[in-house]
Amino acid sequence: MTPLPLFPTTSVGSFPKPDYLKKARTQANRGEISEKKLRELEERATREWIHFQEEIGIDLLVDGEMYRGDMVTYFAETLKGFEISGFVRSYGNRYYKKPIVVDEVRRAKRDTVEWYQFAQALTKKPVKGMLTGPYTLMDWSFNEYYKDRRELTLALAEVIHEEAADLEKAGAQFIQIDEPAVSVRPEELPLACEAMGIVTRGIKAKTLTHICYGDFEKIYPGMLDLPVDQIDLELSNSNFNLYEMIKKHPFTKEIGLGVVDVHSHKLETKDEVKKRIEQALRVFKPEQIYVDPDCGLKTREVQEAKDKLRVVVEAVKEVRKELVSAAR
Amino acid sequence: MLKVTVVSHYPKIGDTHEKQLLRRTIAQLDRKEADLAQLERAKDEVTRQVIEEQIEAGVEVVTDGQIRWDDPLTYLAGKIKGFRLTGLLRYFDTNTFYRQPVCEGELAPPPSLVVKDFQFANTISSVPVKALLTGPYTLAKLSQDKHYGDLEKFATQWATILGEETKRLAKVGAGIVQFDEPAILRFKKDLPVFKRVWAKLASFFPDHLETVLFLNFGNLEGIYSELLELPVTTVGFDLATEPANWKLLRKGSFPKKLIAGIVDARNTKMETEEEIQEKLEKLLASVPAEDLSVSPNYGLEFLPRETAQKKLAHLSKVVREFREAKVKA
Repeated sequence: MTPLPLFPTTSVGSFPKPDYLKKARTQANRGEISEKKLRELEERATREWIHFQEEIGIDLLVDGEMYRGDMVTYFAETLKGFEISGFVRSYGNRYYKKPIVVDEVRRAKRDTVEWYQFAQALTKKPVKGMLTGPYTLMDWSFNEYYKDRRELTLALAEVIHEEAADLEKAGAQFIQIDEPAVSVRPEELPLACEAMGIVTRGIKAKTLTHICYGDFEKIYPGMLDLPVDQIDLELSNSNFNLYEMIKKHPFTKEIGLGVVDVHSHKLETKDEVKKRIEQALRVFKPEQIYVDPDCGLKTREVQEAKDKLRVVVEAVKEVRKELVSAAR
Repeated sequence: MLKVTVVSHYPKIGDTHEKQLLRRTIAQLDRKEADLAQLERAKDEVTRQVIEEQIEAGVEVVTDGQIRWDDPLTYLAGKIKGFRLTGLLRYFDTNTFYRQPVCEGELAPPPSLVVKDFQFANTISSVPVKALLTGPYTLAKLSQDKHYGDLEKFATQWATILGEETKRLAKVGAGIVQFDEPAILRFKKDLPVFKRVWAKLASFFPDHLETVLFLNFGNLEGIYSELLELPVTTVGFDLATEPANWKLLRKGSFPKKLIAGIVDARNTKMETEEEIQEKLEKLLASVPAEDLSVSPNYGLEFLPRETAQKKLAHLSKVVREFREAKVKA
């Protein structure tokens, strides 16, 4: 693998599904097309996203999660011990099917690993292995089986550790374990850290975690205890004054810098993105920084997502150039 | 005696085509295949469905399910001049979100907030309907204030608006008006402000109206006795997932009517009959049966619709049998 350049550009995980895949997923749900046909289309969409990332010059790729409904339901579907509930609303007209833990959680398939292998075979650039963290899986599920939140979290941590170990064995050099839920109950941050310690135990690949939903004040600097190499944060759509906080407590890990808002149709300009990176450079060492969108892009239209990724890459290229010429 | 009720919202969609009417209509509206009149009709129809479901499940005082509400703040703030609705924020520790209202000018009292909704629900329901409002403190605390510059002033303006609304609700036949005030359990040091704001609100309450203060997303430790002195007829709180609230309740006789949230509306796990019976016995040790209602600890929108109805039906059945056994004894 060629070494990554300064400010590696990457993505948080999900990309929007192209229309043909959305249609196929609905048809598959109704039993109108076969699993095999659906899989073919998921592979086609994955291939398209890998090629797009290569074409625009992203450095650290993701498979785009064309085969996932969402980051929690997917694991509930592939692990044993879960059932899927009816619809629950999150906001506006958005609903999701919330998993229910009804039995001991165990690993049943090697789905995540197989998708990693499929995507990695399509490119020479590194592809991240993508997992959802045990704390978030717990927090976003109903629990009818385990005694309490802690017991369920720790059981899930062992399962996700097996996933991480297998991804590493399959060659993944970056393993991302997302924990968007950890900012919600600060009193449970130690539990999330303990669980993450189980997941990353003995893993030599670079590990990172993504946290979102803004409210970081309550878990900083505690979040730095998460046993991972890098923390990726939603920074453009948040009032969080990270830079003020860092002045008080240095950020001791690599930072995944979210620089475009995934919840907005509005496309950021190159200058806005550059400004966000330059702002970060005042408190981070350049080699600490990875640059990406705030969060998964799956809620955007395909074209919007592509435009947002492009502007990230273009802004990073200019900042790199300017740094080089300033050094001369 | 010993009634079954619900608090706040009810799931808007369920598993069947018929139960997904609202989601479908909003999607059609987004694609410009439906108009606002159709959306209103869908909201009416779903309100009708969920009132029927509650009654069918044995609920004796129902709500309109807040089918028209996107979240506890924006439905009210959106009707008041002076607010702008902004980005999504998480609602306490749930996986639901609300658009934060930003107050940018003097709040102009609206002609009404939920009067029409109440009247609609009241016409179609064969059992009493409880009118629902978010409390003045929670509305102020969870919004952003760029105008009043002071939480108490801001919340007091809300109290005036809600107080006028309460009078209007009573005039059109509401017998019970409930105010949800979860935020005070998260910011207990604001209790002095809370009390003054509530004194203002209560100054509008007509005689003979049952007024409910409902509290969840925390326990009442440290503010329990003062909350019980507030000028309301009924207080309700979480007795499903907050053991601390049980300790408080055991302290002595309860000076108000109580809504005991004994069923967990945030987990699909069904309570056993024995658990519910045991809680009913414990409650009756502190509150006379005629002053006691039982309910879920939260609105039911955190559950899938089918589970919500199942939980209500189960609670009602256990309560019915419990009452019958008491009568026989």
